[in-house]
This record gives sequence, C-alpha cells and structure tokens, in this order.
Amino acid sequence: MSVPAPGAMRLHLKKFRKYVAPALVATLLLWGASTVCRVDLGALLAGMPRGVALFGHMLPPRWEDFPALAGPALETVQIASVGTVLGAVLALLIALAAAGNLSPHRAVRELARGALTAERALPDLIIILFFVAIVGLGAFPGVMALAVCSVGMLGKLFADAFEEVDPKPLEAMAAVGATRAQIIRYAVLPQVFPSLIANTLYRFDVNIRMSIFLGVVGAGGIGFNLVMSMRLLRYQEAFAAILVILVLVVMCEQLSDALRRRVLGQEVLR
Amino acid sequence: MLTVKGLAKRLPDGKPLLRDISFQVEKGEFVAVFGESGVGKTVLLRCVNGLTAPDSGEVVINGDGGPQRVNGKTGKELRRLRRRIGMIFQGANLVKRLSVLENVMTGRLGWINPSRSLLYGFTDQEAERALEALEKVGVKHLAFRRAETLSGGEMQRVAIARALLQEPYLLLADEPVASLDPKNASAVLDCLKPLTAQMAIIGVFHHLDIVRKYCTRAIGIRDGVVAYDGKPDVPRDVLNAVYGSEPRAWPVAAGQ
Repeated sequence: MSVPAPGAMRLHLKKFRKYVAPALVATLLLWGASTVCRVDLGALLAGMPRGVALFGHMLPPRWEDFPALAGPALETVQIASVGTVLGAVLALLIALAAAGNLSPHRAVRELARGALTAERALPDLIIILFFVAIVGLGAFPGVMALAVCSVGMLGKLFADAFEEVDPKPLEAMAAVGATRAQIIRYAVLPQVFPSLIANTLYRFDVNIRMSIFLGVVGAGGIGFNLVMSMRLLRYQEAFAAILVILVLVVMCEQLSDALRRRVLGQEVLR
Repeated sequence: MLTVKGLAKRLPDGKPLLRDISFQVEKGEFVAVFGESGVGKTVLLRCVNGLTAPDSGEVVINGDGGPQRVNGKTGKELRRLRRRIGMIFQGANLVKRLSVLENVMTGRLGWINPSRSLLYGFTDQEAERALEALEKVGVKHLAFRRAETLSGGEMQRVAIARALLQEPYLLLADEPVASLDPKNASAVLDCLKPLTAQMAIIGVFHHLDIVRKYCTRAIGIRDGVVAYDGKPDVPRDVLNAVYGSEPRAWPVAAGQ
C-alpha cells in the first residue's frame, strides 16, 4: 500500500472483511432460502390443534395389534443384525486392502479407499431404492441395503484401526516365518478386536433405526406396518406400531451397550 | 552355521552404513556385536534373517538343508529359512492382547500348516511344547496371563520361549537387555547362555561386563567394517578405537 491508512481504520476494515461481510452474506442467503421453503411460524402454530387432535385419534392404541406386530418387529431386528454383520464382514475385507500397512500394493490401497469414500458419498436412499428395484420387495433388499450402507463407514474405521496397530509384533511374526495371513490373524486382529466390536455395535444402533425406515420403501420390517396404518388413517393401529418401535429401539440400544461394555470393560479393568 | 561375506548396506539417503562386513559363526558360540550407536548393528542382525535386504555381499545359513543364501530369497523360501532363525527384540514385541501361551505358540507359525493355523488355531501338543519352553525360561506360572500384564523382564523371557519353539539353530538378539534393570538383565542372560548348546547366538550388547561374563566372542564395528573380532575381554585400546577416541566416543557430540 502506498499511502498507509491510519492504524485503527485499517483494523476496522480488516475485521469487516473477515467477519462482518461473510456473516452478512450468509444471513442473506439463509433468509432467501427460508423464504423459498416457506418457513412460517404461524402455520406451525395453527397446525398445533390438529396435532393434538391426531394424538387424540391415536388413543388408545389398539392393544390387540401387539401380537401381530411381534413378527414384523422381529423381522426389523433380523434385517438390522444380518445387514450389520454382512456389512462388517465386507468392511473387514475391504479394510485389509485399504490399510496402508497391510495392503498388498499402493494401487490396491487407493482403489479400496476410493471405493469406501464413494460409498459414503452415495446417499443411503439411493442404495435402498436400488436394491428394492433389483430384488423386489421384502426383507432381503433391506438386508443388502443395510450391508452396503454400513460398508463405507465401517470400512474406513476398520482401516484406520489397522493402520494404528503397533507394528513391532507384526515384525516379530514375520521374523518367525509367518505368512501374511498368519500375521494378520495373530498380530493384527488381536490388537484391533475391541475397536472392531465397538464400531460394529455402534453401526448396529444406526441400522436398527434405518431398518425401521426401510419398511417405508417396502423393504420389510415394522416400518411397513406403521406406514400402512397411517395411510389408511388407522391411527390407533399406528400408535401401537409406534410404541413397539420405541420399545424395540431402546431394547436394542441396551443390548448393544451391554455387549460393548462386556468387550471394552475388560480392557478398562485390565 | 552362519557366514556373512562382504555385506554392505546404504542408508535410504545414500550414505554407506555397512561397507564390508565378513565373519563366520559356529554352533556353541555366543557372539556380542558392539559399536557406537547408529553404526549399523541392528541393520546387520536384520540382514541375517532377511528383514532388511543388503545392497551387496551375502549371508549364508548352514542349517538342516545345507548352505543356503538368505539375501535374495523371498516368499516361501525366505519363510522356510526364517522359521529356524530366532529373533529377540529390545522391547520383546509380544502381541500384548494375546495370552503368554498364545504368544509363545506363535513361534510355531513357520512350521505348521497355514490354513490350519488360521481356521483352527494351535493344538494341545503345541501348547505343551510352549509350556515346556516357558518352564525352561522360568515363567511357566505366567502362561495364562495376558502378555500386556507382564514386566519387561518377564516379557523378554516369554520372547525367548517363543524363539525356542522355532527350534532355531541361530538366535539373533537385538539389545535384549538394554531396557531392563540389572537383576532382570541377568535373569534374561542366564536364560540365553545355556542355549548355546544347541545353537549359535548373536547379540547386540552395550555393557562390557555383560560381554565379558556371558559371551564367547566379540565383534566390534566401526565405519562399516569389522574393527575387532576376538575374545570377549576386549582390550581398552581396542575399545577406544571402536568407539573412537574422544570426542568421537560420544555419539551425541559426534553426531552432526
């Protein structure tokens, strides 16, 4: 700058450029977007009585529906379990190729990492609709969709865990003449076991919620019952399904928490 | 048993580390390798079992299958050679989350059928052998503890038991007692010493009293060549020559 501005003035200008201007732009954009989306507090308030009325229609839940909901509820848990395990196994195999210290070749590693990133970038809905489209309605497309949706996240977490293992025991195994597979089995897997289990259980929690949503698109489970009841305006039936879903989610979370504690608790207590 | 001839190895930046190392070791010997830190003692040991590939020269093992060159071998052939060369590291390098017994049994990995070891695991017979080896090094009572709960000296003895399961005819020990207190160091060395009845041992040691007490021979390395090869009672003037007279004696001062 040829003519230096007074110090205080320059500071104000700097602050304006750095904070005030971006904040103004962001506010304008968000305001514009909310207008387009018709964000309207009034409409929300006006809808409140209808919400109360809807809740009124739901009461009491149709208790006699509960036995019939047990089957779909169980199916939801089964879809989530099978999907999670299948996804975890797939993720484990891809992670072995994606971990820098275990991958057979740099190119393989980049390819595997790329595949995992691509899966994470792909919205879950597209994956679900794809499997419904190719294998039809029912629990099986749900299982496949959950497995594939889990691979991106689990694969990355597993690969990161592999890369963080202590390399020294690996070298000791190599020195006794162990094969690559033996080194993974005896020096790598024992080190990452707690992390594999904890992450898989966490994904199971996510998948339970997702498998309820799966019913909405016709991929099996209790979500389907809920959607059908709502569409047919059978609110008491719907409420029964909602109650079952809530209990299901809480139970599964308790279960995975207990398992996690069992596996990781040992680590902490040691 | 082991012949090293004209071994040379450059550092990744191109500086020569080992230039021309030659020596021969026979069964029954307990050889100490000494020299300034950074002189390439570890690299030398790693060249012997092929963990590091030398630039030139050769390493020949004369074991059960006649003389065989280690360098240049890869894959299955290299694993065959390695399974009878034990290696003990400064930090024991056990798999911390496995039990002591499992750690010892991994010494058999080079011998057993790979698919069986992956799918089924180890047999009772291997467990018994592991227990015998643990008894030999005096830590049988720790067999069912997790490796991570052991002290440094105990871990090092477990590492020796693991090497014993390899039925080695050559044992490489890279500063096996450097991180141990004197009492544990003696315990570990007392385990190693009698093993020379069945094999040759080459170890990197820093304390001359250890070398004098336990070893049968000492090899000093300086500037990438063998500067001393003889009795473990290394004369003072040789020590000065190998470690360099002051100020080169101190790696810190001599470093850069």
